[in-house]
Amino acid sequence: MRLGALCRGLLLPLLVAVSGTAVTMAADAGAAAPREEYEQVPMPAGFKVVVADFEGPVFADERGRTLYDWPTHQLRNGPAGELKGKPHCDDTHYTKTAGLMSPYPPGLLLPETDKRPTCAALWPPVIAPEGASPIGKWTVVQRADGRRQWAYDGFALYTSALDHEEGDVNGGTKRKTHGDSPADREPVAPPSLLPPQFAIAEQTTGRLLVTSQGASVYALANERPDNLLCDAGCAKEWKPVSAPAFAQAKGAFSVLEREPGIKQWAFRGEPLYTRVGEEREHSLEGSDVPGWHNVYTQRAPPPPADFTVQESPGGLVLADSRGRTVYIYHCGDDALDQLACDYPGASQVYRFAVCGGGDPARCRQTFPYVLATPGVKSASRVWSVLAIDPNTGHLAQPGQADSVNVWAFRQRPVFTCALDSQPGDLRADGWGEFNGYRNGFKAFWLRDDFTDNAG
Amino acid sequence: MSKRFRRLRAAIAVSATMAAAMAAAPVTAAPASLPKSIGYVMTDEHWALYETPGAKQECPKGFNLGPREQFKLLFPDPHAKLSVVDSQLARESAVWFPSTTKEPFEFLEAQGPIALGINLDGKVGPNDFTSPQGEHGIDNQLYRVIGCVRNYRREGELGIITTKWRQQEPFNRLIIEITGIDSLENDDDVQVTLYRGIGDIMMNASGSEYLPGGTQRIDRRWGKRYIRTWHGSIKNGLLTTDAVDAWIPEMGAFADNSQLFFHGMRLQLQLTPTKAVGFMGGYADVDVWYYALNTAWATHHQSYGQSSAPSIYRALRRLADAYPDPKTGQNEGISSALEVAFTQAYVDHSEPLRSAGTK
Repeated sequence: MRLGALCRGLLLPLLVAVSGTAVTMAADAGAAAPREEYEQVPMPAGFKVVVADFEGPVFADERGRTLYDWPTHQLRNGPAGELKGKPHCDDTHYTKTAGLMSPYPPGLLLPETDKRPTCAALWPPVIAPEGASPIGKWTVVQRADGRRQWAYDGFALYTSALDHEEGDVNGGTKRKTHGDSPADREPVAPPSLLPPQFAIAEQTTGRLLVTSQGASVYALANERPDNLLCDAGCAKEWKPVSAPAFAQAKGAFSVLEREPGIKQWAFRGEPLYTRVGEEREHSLEGSDVPGWHNVYTQRAPPPPADFTVQESPGGLVLADSRGRTVYIYHCGDDALDQLACDYPGASQVYRFAVCGGGDPARCRQTFPYVLATPGVKSASRVWSVLAIDPNTGHLAQPGQADSVNVWAFRQRPVFTCALDSQPGDLRADGWGEFNGYRNGFKAFWLRDDFTDNAG
Repeated sequence: MSKRFRRLRAAIAVSATMAAAMAAAPVTAAPASLPKSIGYVMTDEHWALYETPGAKQECPKGFNLGPREQFKLLFPDPHAKLSVVDSQLARESAVWFPSTTKEPFEFLEAQGPIALGINLDGKVGPNDFTSPQGEHGIDNQLYRVIGCVRNYRREGELGIITTKWRQQEPFNRLIIEITGIDSLENDDDVQVTLYRGIGDIMMNASGSEYLPGGTQRIDRRWGKRYIRTWHGSIKNGLLTTDAVDAWIPEMGAFADNSQLFFHGMRLQLQLTPTKAVGFMGGYADVDVWYYALNTAWATHHQSYGQSSAPSIYRALRRLADAYPDPKTGQNEGISSALEVAFTQAYVDHSEPLRSAGTK
């Protein structure tokens, strides 16, 4: 079903919370969707906060380039990443694997080493000027080459060569990464403007408001603080999120007095509830109940009209116009600097190995690109059209005759899989090395009622 | 008159009576009692392998090599300049694009005439096994394939972890409901329905034992492809079903959504009021089985149990014994069986969504 049709079609009652997600994503297209608010924290001169389309608030330099850090991740055979105060992303030209993963041994020659960038080329360090002094969580750390580098919360800061405009966050994501993912870089952000009872869960559908224990927070359509609709019977199923006696409004959060002496949180004017008996964290199941919806501080931009949403055995997945499940390709190499290989500018030999046995033509048959229909536009920079050379997997040259225009999410092309024969099939979810997290494919989950693939 | 026909005729009669009654006056009588039924939730599942002490009988030459061992044989010189492309990615390509060409490793098939499982085709063929109890015609060529792969044996990681996940994770909650039961001992006509359940499996306080009497709701939305209803019979407490094509959810390990597809799946379960124990057998679709293995278990994880996917694929194709592709003639199904155990649970058919309950 096309996203737009979700709002009008017969399945609307079914899919309203199918979801809060898909429907709202579509409904917000073109509208000025609310953006997440953040704590005003002290910053050095020359830095600012940018509220990105998908990732929400992030720190950026004066040119708007998102800032990232690279905290240590424990991989299968040892750690990678940086410790606080000890940056080591530099100009070292790595040529061999480090053996941090398994079962393959260390010391294997990396592919296309002549084209492989250094860590510092892909992740330029944010150099601190002479006289820079700490402020708040911002400090200055010493690099091995003698230069001084800005750090936040102790971790050295970098920009990404993959970001081109203010608001781009293509270098990394706040979404949780799997234990077998590469030691990823993460965008650095100020704290969200939330009372301590709440937290944000990054989902593919947006920045989901949850309690500090991870329970999803819901609101009831048309209910306002001065017009409470959820009565005593309703409150047995939907537990009001109570506010402490001396709670104060904070940002978009306000406090209402539900009954004398009983206070309840509201967000953007909507009283907040959790669903009694809901066991799973970050659940969207409550949105299946007519009238109720999940609450987001910021929703993800809608996918373009070339996409649909399908029901799979685990939940909702993004699909192409013919209903075939869409997959995201993940890749990180096993060198000490843990560079990504999941974007068109990187070596494509990893992808070709798992999508075509090393053969690009077979790869295109097994995992075809999602082609962009001429004239179909994206409402955000998160979704874009890339001209790809199908034989190399790299960006096509300007005017290249055999290039194909494909959809990309965060500047990475998305794919379908020929093994899927009907809408909702997801036989390639987990295809590739380390269940698709390291050199392979994961389905583009929008809602997962069984595990947490959409988070 | 068959019981099925009697049911149909009774249903028509009840409908006619109800229609007449509704037309005449408000219905005040209690609804007719539902057919007797019993539900069970799956708690254990292992590929049915006949295992002798020390594997002496079925694996006289030992166990198969895994990815690490094969890698060392293929690339024996630790000082050679190996590339990622020619070693690691070549091996991964072999996993995802397997071949039936000969490889430089001997594959050790399980040996001997004895195997666990079900006589799926009702025949006794030259490649069939005999059960430990002496039943001839047991169809379980998958046992030949994985009987000497450590991962699949009782001490193997897959057997342990998959079962643990089955108990802990909701994705693969499988329930069966038997309806139309006159007797749990003998009934020549019952209906069996397979569902995915929603709910935890009830255990005792120490977590060491499954308890009957729990409740499972039915996942009719995401799990609709798993719902199958077919015919069975009970003789001396043993439920035996006809064959049905069925998908079952089979999360292996790490948030994967792997599934299995059986051509002609049958159940053979010894029933009691609290448990159902026996086999779920059928012709596992080779490609589905193979890719479910690999999306659930990365090469790293398969290395724990010396499970080499490219070698297993060759054996799967060699030993597949049913459901030939009409174009190629290649068998797409391999006879197999899972040893399964279920615990009684009440099946809640009510609609899971509740009203908003608002003003």
